[in-house]
Amino acid sequence: MESKKKILLIDDDKDFLMATKLILEKGGYEVFLAEDGKSGLEMARKVSPDLAIIDMMMETWSEGFNVVSRLRTSETGKQIPLIMLSAVDLQGPYQSFEPPENLPTVDLVQHKPIKADELLGHISTLLKKQ
Amino acid sequence: MGDSSGGPASILIIDDEETILDGCRQALEKSGYTVITSSDGHEGVGLARVLKPDLAFIDLKMPGSSGMDIIDMLSREMPDMVLIVITGYASIVSAVEAMKKGAYDYLPKPFTPDQIRAVTKRGLEHRSLKKEAERLREEKERMERSFITFVSHEMRSPLVTVMQYFETLKAIAGSELSDASRDIIERCEKRLQALHDLIEHWLDLSRIQDGSFSKAQAPLVVTDVVEKSIEELSPLCQRREISLEYTPRQDAPRILGDAESLTRVFSNIIGNSTKHTPQGGKISVGIDFDEFYVYVRISDTGEGIPEDKLPFIFEPFFRVKGKEERQRGSGLGLTFVKKIMDAHMGKIEVTSKLGEGTTFVLTFPRLYEL
Repeated sequence: MESKKKILLIDDDKDFLMATKLILEKGGYEVFLAEDGKSGLEMARKVSPDLAIIDMMMETWSEGFNVVSRLRTSETGKQIPLIMLSAVDLQGPYQSFEPPENLPTVDLVQHKPIKADELLGHISTLLKKQ
Repeated sequence: MGDSSGGPASILIIDDEETILDGCRQALEKSGYTVITSSDGHEGVGLARVLKPDLAFIDLKMPGSSGMDIIDMLSREMPDMVLIVITGYASIVSAVEAMKKGAYDYLPKPFTPDQIRAVTKRGLEHRSLKKEAERLREEKERMERSFITFVSHEMRSPLVTVMQYFETLKAIAGSELSDASRDIIERCEKRLQALHDLIEHWLDLSRIQDGSFSKAQAPLVVTDVVEKSIEELSPLCQRREISLEYTPRQDAPRILGDAESLTRVFSNIIGNSTKHTPQGGKISVGIDFDEFYVYVRISDTGEGIPEDKLPFIFEPFFRVKGKEERQRGSGLGLTFVKKIMDAHMGKIEVTSKLGEGTTFVLTFPRLYEL
């Protein structure tokens, strides 16, 4: 049998991590958690995930973006699909948020809260593309 | 001594008559002010730039330089400095002109030491009030900004996490839940969603108030925006078995607007209609224009709004009582709509008949194009 796909989940909200982890496990994935950008990057090096989900706003407004750009330039993160989570509607003019220039590319942006079946659907589509 | 930095207030006097300078210096130093004098206009301006006094007296008539030009220059360069005109002849005309250029007050010659002290005191009081008002305004803006940030992060995050937990609960325990438990979860989710919407709408309103909405305006065709809203709302209409009729109008002229906030305006109104229109009802959306304006008309065959309630529907937290609990909105939706319309120099009108339906007409000024 094929081994489980690995998903790395980075978010500074422990409860959100827990809630989302359960959904991902229900979907049959092996889930690795990190509560900040730094340990998220270390975890990525250690476990080489097949996909990573990153919260945009952790300690600072742009920590998620930093993690994404670091992942994108690393050996492990170069190829894998990245999903960014946001509690803010980025389409709208959000006054205190200035997205960094040269936004690193993510494969998908999802607004919190995320519907379980939608999330699992997106993940399976993204992983199939690999 | 109205200076906020604590030291004695500093006063600059520019006048070509040495006797006036001496008299003023004595009168003001006696009251504890620091006094600087100059008998030459150019030198006086130089001193003002370097020493940045709190208040300056400037003689309007000096040989070789125009007091009026000095006032004009100083009021632009140093808006915090209080400028007072000394006029050799109590000419109201020149005093008025100087005040138009930024002087705060004038002092007609001849004047007594008490008079110059009184004018100085008043000028400095005006300055500290102005500075205090400025400080308070900045403080208020800073608090509003940090409150928006606070709400958006500290209130929204836990709410979103709780909502995520409910979603997880349904996902992992779906089949094991009894109907009663599932019903409770769904009720919780509805209330949480309402709270979530309230926070979003409140944030939207705060953003309009700080002006970030109107900055994003660009020429656009309203048809495109309306179609985006229709696309957004048509699944909901299908679910509620309400027909959504739309007559496209590709020749509509452009307007100046923010596509994102306008999408929300149309979605909000159409969304409202879906809440108040019964199964089998109809919502029609049409676009029209004339020489000056572009009109978007949204009508429904819903329950209508009582005539005595119509004037209040744009007020924050005002709700027309619906028959069902599910119809409760945040109470800020139409307030948001009205503010966005105001920011677009637009107009929103509503007509309604109980039991027959409601029509909103949104009017936008056409973008003037050659």
